[in-house]
Amino acid sequence: MLTANAAGHRGYELWDPMPDDVREGARRFASVQALNELVGVLQYVEWLDRAPGHTRRQMLMAKIQDEVGHGHAVARVAEDLGVPRERIFLDYLEGHTKLHNIFHFSFQTWEELGAGLLLTNSAAICQFQSLAKGVYLPYARALRKVEREESFHYQHALDLTHEVMTHGDAVQRRRVQDAFEVWLTRILIYLGPPDTDTLHTNRMWQVGMKPDSNDAVRQKWLNKIIPVFRKLGVHVDPELVRQAPSGEWEYAMPDWAEVKKLIANGGPSSQKRLDWVRNALDRNAKYRRAMQGVA
Amino acid sequence: MPHIPTDTDVYEVFAQHGSSTPLNHVGSIVSPRRDTAWHLAKETYGRRDDLVTLWVVRRDDMIVPSAEDRGLLAAKTRMPHRQPGFPTARRRDRAAAAETAGSASQVRDSAPAAHRDEAPGAGEAGLADLWLALADDLFVLGNRLGERICDYIDVEEALAVGSIGQEALAHAGTILTLRGFDQPAVDAWFFDRAQEQWQVSRVIERITDWPSTVACGLVVAAAVTVLAEQTAQVETDAAQLSAIAAVREEQLVHLDHWRRWARALSDWPETRAEFTRAYAEVTELAGDVFGARPQGGPAGALPGDPAPAATLHERLAALVGGGPGSQLPEHPLPRTAGLGGSALAHSLAQGRVVRDAYAPGVFS
Ligand SMILES: [Fe+2]
Ligand SMILES: [Fe+2]
Repeated sequence: MLTANAAGHRGYELWDPMPDDVREGARRFASVQALNELVGVLQYVEWLDRAPGHTRRQMLMAKIQDEVGHGHAVARVAEDLGVPRERIFLDYLEGHTKLHNIFHFSFQTWEELGAGLLLTNSAAICQFQSLAKGVYLPYARALRKVEREESFHYQHALDLTHEVMTHGDAVQRRRVQDAFEVWLTRILIYLGPPDTDTLHTNRMWQVGMKPDSNDAVRQKWLNKIIPVFRKLGVHVDPELVRQAPSGEWEYAMPDWAEVKKLIANGGPSSQKRLDWVRNALDRNAKYRRAMQGVA
Repeated sequence: MPHIPTDTDVYEVFAQHGSSTPLNHVGSIVSPRRDTAWHLAKETYGRRDDLVTLWVVRRDDMIVPSAEDRGLLAAKTRMPHRQPGFPTARRRDRAAAAETAGSASQVRDSAPAAHRDEAPGAGEAGLADLWLALADDLFVLGNRLGERICDYIDVEEALAVGSIGQEALAHAGTILTLRGFDQPAVDAWFFDRAQEQWQVSRVIERITDWPSTVACGLVVAAAVTVLAEQTAQVETDAAQLSAIAAVREEQLVHLDHWRRWARALSDWPETRAEFTRAYAEVTELAGDVFGARPQGGPAGALPGDPAPAATLHERLAALVGGGPGSQLPEHPLPRTAGLGGSALAHSLAQGRVVRDAYAPGVFS
C-alpha cells in the first residue's frame, strides 16, 4: 500500500488502485515466471532416477518439489490478477508464451547437471533479489519465499559440483569444465539483452516493476559466481569472460537472432517439453475434475 | 445479560504495520454481528499505529491444527535434507568419516556384511522382516511419486505428492537404520542389490496411472500404519517407539490423503469405472503385503517377534477392504522375491548409471 520503495515508488497490494502498467506488468512477470518454473523443472526431473544415493535422491526430489512450489507461488499471484493457471499452460501450448532459453535443453551428463544448476540458481537468485524490490508487493513477497528456497538449491548444486571435482576422474571433471563454458553463455543470454542505455525508456523500469538493468544484474551475478567456480578448480577462460581493471566484467555477447530461433521452440528439447505438458494435461484432466467435482 | 462468547462470534484480528513487515496476529474480539466485526477490531487494535492493513477472520471459518498435528509442523526435524545448511554439513561429516576409515572404499566395506549377499534366512518371518520388505515398497513408491510431481494433476497436489514421496523415501531409510544399517549400507541396499533380491509387494507392479497410484498409495500407507501399531504393542524401547510413532503419524496423513482421492475418483462419474477397476486390481494383489520372507541379518532395534500375519492382514482389510470393489484376498499370501517388473528393473538400472561411473563409496 502507499509506501515508498528505494527508488521512491509506491508499493501496491492486490486491492489497491494502481497504474495499468503495474497491473499488466505484474500479471506478465508472474505468469511468465510460473510457466518457466513449472516447465523448466522437467530438465531436473529427467535426472531424478539417476540420483546415485538415498540422500541425494531426497535432496533432488526436494529441489524439484520446490521448483513446482515456486511455480505455484507466482501462479497464485497471476491468478489473483486474472490469469487462471490453466491459461498459463495453454498460452505456452498455443505458442503465445515462451520458455527461457535455458529450458530448451537437457543435461547430457550428471556432471553437466551440477555445474548447470549452480550457474542457473545463482543467476536466478540475483534476478529475484532485484525483482523483489519491485512495486507489486504480492509478487515481491512470492519472490522472497522463492529466494529462500533457492539458497538451498544453490548449496545443493555447489555440493553436486564439489563432489564431482573431488571424486571424479579427469573425464568427469572435464565435463564440469565444459558445462561451465556452455552454460555460462546460456545464462548471460538468460539475463536478457544489454539495456544499460535504454533502461530509462523501459516502461517497467519507469513504473518500478524492473528495478535494475539486465546488465547490472549480470555484473552482480558474475561478481558472485566466477570466484565460486575458480575455487572449485574450474578454469575461467578470459576469451569467455574477464574482469577489466575497473572491476567491470567483459564477455562476448551472443547472436541474438540465434537466441530468438531457440526460444521459438527451436531447441533440442523444446518439442519434448511441449509434448510432456500437453500429454500430462490431457491425461490428468478428468482426475482434476474429479477432485474439484466433490470438493 | 452477560454474554458468553461462542466460537461463532469470536473474530481473530491480523494487522500489518509496515509494507515490508508481514501481517501479524494481534488478538481477537467478540462481535455478535459479522458486519460490525471489522470496525470493532479497528477500535480495539488500530487506535495507536498507522496500519497498512487490518484483516478480521471469524474463528469458526479458520482451519487450525489440533494438538496431534504439532509433530507434522516440525518440518526442520522431519525433513532435514531440505535445509540450506544440509549439503555442506553432510559433506563435512562424510569427509570426517572417510578420514577415520582411511579411504572411501573402506567406508563401503564397513557396511554390515550380514545385509549383503546372504541367502534368505529360513523359518518364520518376524516383525523386523515385515518392516524390511515394506521398506522396499516405500522406496519404490517414493520414487514413483517423485515423478508425479511434474504430472500437473494440479499444482497443490503436485506439492503434496512431493512431500508424500520424500517421506516414503525417508521412512524406507528409517526402517533400515532401525535394523542397524549405516548410510553406506542403506545405499547399498537400495542401489546395489539385484532385482532378484528385492521383495516388493505385487501391488508395486500395478502402479501405472494416477488411479493405480492412488490405490497403491492407500494400500502401502495402510500397511505401514498397521505394522507400526503392532510394533508399538510389542516394542518397549522408547527411542525405537518414537521413530516408529513418527513414521506412523506421517503415514496416517498419507492414508487420509489417498482416501480423499479414492472417494473423489469413485464419486465422480467420469472416473468411477476406471478407479473401481484399478482399486480392485491393486487390492487383489495386496494379499502379500504382510507375507515377507526372512532375509537374514539381525533385527537391530526392531522387534524380532514372530509376525502375526493373519491379524495384521485382518487389520489391513478393515482399512482398505471397504474401498470400491476391493478384491483383497481373505488370507495373507507370501511375498515372492524378484518382482517389480520392468519398471523396477528400469529404475534400478537408472539408479546405477551415475553410481557405477564413480569409485565405490563416493555416493554413500
Ligand atoms: Fe525456481
Ligand atoms: Fe531453484
